[in-house]
Amino acid sequence: MTRLWWTQVKAVIRLELKKTFFAKRGLWIYAVAALPVLLFIAYAVAMSHEQHRTTEIARDGERRLAYQDLLAIKPGMTKQEVAAILGKPPLVFHWTERRPTGPNSTEEILHEDLHYSDGQNDLYLGLANGKVQSINIHEGYNLGEDAIMFAGVFQFFFLRLAIFFGCLGIFMNLFRGEVLDRSLHFYFLAPIRREVLMAGKFLAGLLATCTIFVTSELLQTIAFLWHFNPQTRDLYLYHNHGLEHAAVYVGVTFLACIGYGAFFLVAGMLFRNPIIPAAAVLIWEGINPFLPALLKQFSVIYYLKSLCPVEIPVSPGTPGLFALFISNADPVSPPLAIVGILVVALLALFVSSVQVRRMEINYTSE
Amino acid sequence: MSDRIIFEDVSKFYGEILGVNRVNLSIPPGITSLVGPNGSGKTTLMNLMTGLVKPSRGRIEVLGYPTDDPENLFKFVGYSTQFDAFPKGLTGFQFIYSYLCLSGMPLQDAERTAWQAIERVNMVDAASRKVAAYSKGMRQRIRLAQALAHNPKVLVLDEPLNGLDPLARSEMIALFRASATEGCYVIISSHILHEVDVISDQVILLSNGYVVAEGQIQTVRSEIQEHPTQILIRCDRPRELAAKLFESEYTIEASIHNDGRGLLLKTRDADRFYLAMNQLALNGLQIESIAPADDDVLSVYEYLIGNEEVVR
Repeated sequence: MTRLWWTQVKAVIRLELKKTFFAKRGLWIYAVAALPVLLFIAYAVAMSHEQHRTTEIARDGERRLAYQDLLAIKPGMTKQEVAAILGKPPLVFHWTERRPTGPNSTEEILHEDLHYSDGQNDLYLGLANGKVQSINIHEGYNLGEDAIMFAGVFQFFFLRLAIFFGCLGIFMNLFRGEVLDRSLHFYFLAPIRREVLMAGKFLAGLLATCTIFVTSELLQTIAFLWHFNPQTRDLYLYHNHGLEHAAVYVGVTFLACIGYGAFFLVAGMLFRNPIIPAAAVLIWEGINPFLPALLKQFSVIYYLKSLCPVEIPVSPGTPGLFALFISNADPVSPPLAIVGILVVALLALFVSSVQVRRMEINYTSE
Repeated sequence: MSDRIIFEDVSKFYGEILGVNRVNLSIPPGITSLVGPNGSGKTTLMNLMTGLVKPSRGRIEVLGYPTDDPENLFKFVGYSTQFDAFPKGLTGFQFIYSYLCLSGMPLQDAERTAWQAIERVNMVDAASRKVAAYSKGMRQRIRLAQALAHNPKVLVLDEPLNGLDPLARSEMIALFRASATEGCYVIISSHILHEVDVISDQVILLSNGYVVAEGQIQTVRSEIQEHPTQILIRCDRPRELAAKLFESEYTIEASIHNDGRGLLLKTRDADRFYLAMNQLALNGLQIESIAPADDDVLSVYEYLIGNEEVVR
């Protein structure tokens, strides 16, 4: 019997995948999934351009500098002292300021901006009358900061919006779309258990969302790492948990598709209008940090946040509510988070299986 | 296992709207036609029979199986619905093939069986075209092919002849007849009464969600007491016959047939009337034929339901 069910599940998946991947009304899901990839590509292009410019400045300098050399400059140093450490500056801008000192007298101040680079980081020095007044080091790229930026985009856009709405679009349409197209009876007239049909449709939705969003996630990672030089990339991937983080992000994406997919599958059977469950779940997930501990557990984002590999730091000046929203005040352990999300999904699938048995073909009431 | 399709005190309400009410049926093999005007509950009855809708009250069993067990039910039930929508992007062949795959049939068997079903409805040439590009008649035929594909014991066909040209109609009727001869249960809904009359072994007459009559059409007719039975007698001397018949207490009304070679009369007791006719024939009147004139579906329908929305 199990073998028959599996054959039937495969038949449902074959039918559904074609519809899910090539449905015109699902094109926006590709756009949503592509958005963070485009964001990281744009970022990588901008950073590569910046990198190219910094490298050129370093190359035009009198000597090859190290980061330590840039840090050696202190306020009050003379231009000659700076030149002794860093050499002749590759880029100099200067202008003269006439500052009034009395009713009929002015003082002439010579301002100079010197720009040095070690090939990655920029040093901007502001000199007045030959003495260093301001020092500004602009770090070319910082893996730590970039990893936090990646985590921010993943948690606050990709998980909460892209995957959320992508699953809404795909899973809610598995049954709802066919009721609207008046073609659901095709399945209901086949010798197949309704629960097996539901499982087939869920797996088809899962396969589609995972393909779309895991591909998006991998492309984001590639785009994110693109602008780093090979040494930095290797350091990040192999010695700084980069590969591990990438794998965890893929895993979290997969679990998000399971969790939200199960939610929206049952919602598609219970509600005619997708806006109502979407808004309800979005609000429920949004207010999760402010909910009592017991209620928090009936949420997908609660477990997903705990699984994310990079925690987003809260700046000291961040308002309390916003800080609570960003931070993960009471994280669960990864095994518990995985079990939790699977239990939530199984509960939703159980409700779906009850609901699918009750479903009737009554298109005229739609 | 029961050998009937059974409805026991079945009612179906869509909210406050009545679908069917207190239906009790026991449908035997053969062709059974559901007859009634639009909204009388024909499609609801078929949807109930196939589990597409669930009864608000009562019990339905198809050859011993409950209708909420599609896995077993549709192994021997095929349903050609009136819903004119198909899964998107499928060709005629894919439509049947996918349906067979859903039943768990191995892919090669499904392919072979799908082609056989397509051949039975003469759709081979159009099978590789998208269903969306089919004409109404072609869509009707491909739905029939789907219902027939797995050689079901019970065929439920909602208005199966709609949109078909005369040739296709006669082919389909022959197909239904052949299935019935093989012992299948063919349930057909139609409001084209002359076709129902030709093909049905028994009828179920529906009106406003109620079954108003069921059984073989002659039996149903004989139970309608308030309308006298009409009998057409072909003979050489109709006037003389009419005069003699009025001597009998069973004759209510008689009129000479338009061609002058027959007599149409009404009687309240057909059996006694036929006995009296035997006596008259022995007395030298030459009678060519005696046949009931109103034991067809059309007459019964008009007596019980009225003549609204009927296609003769």
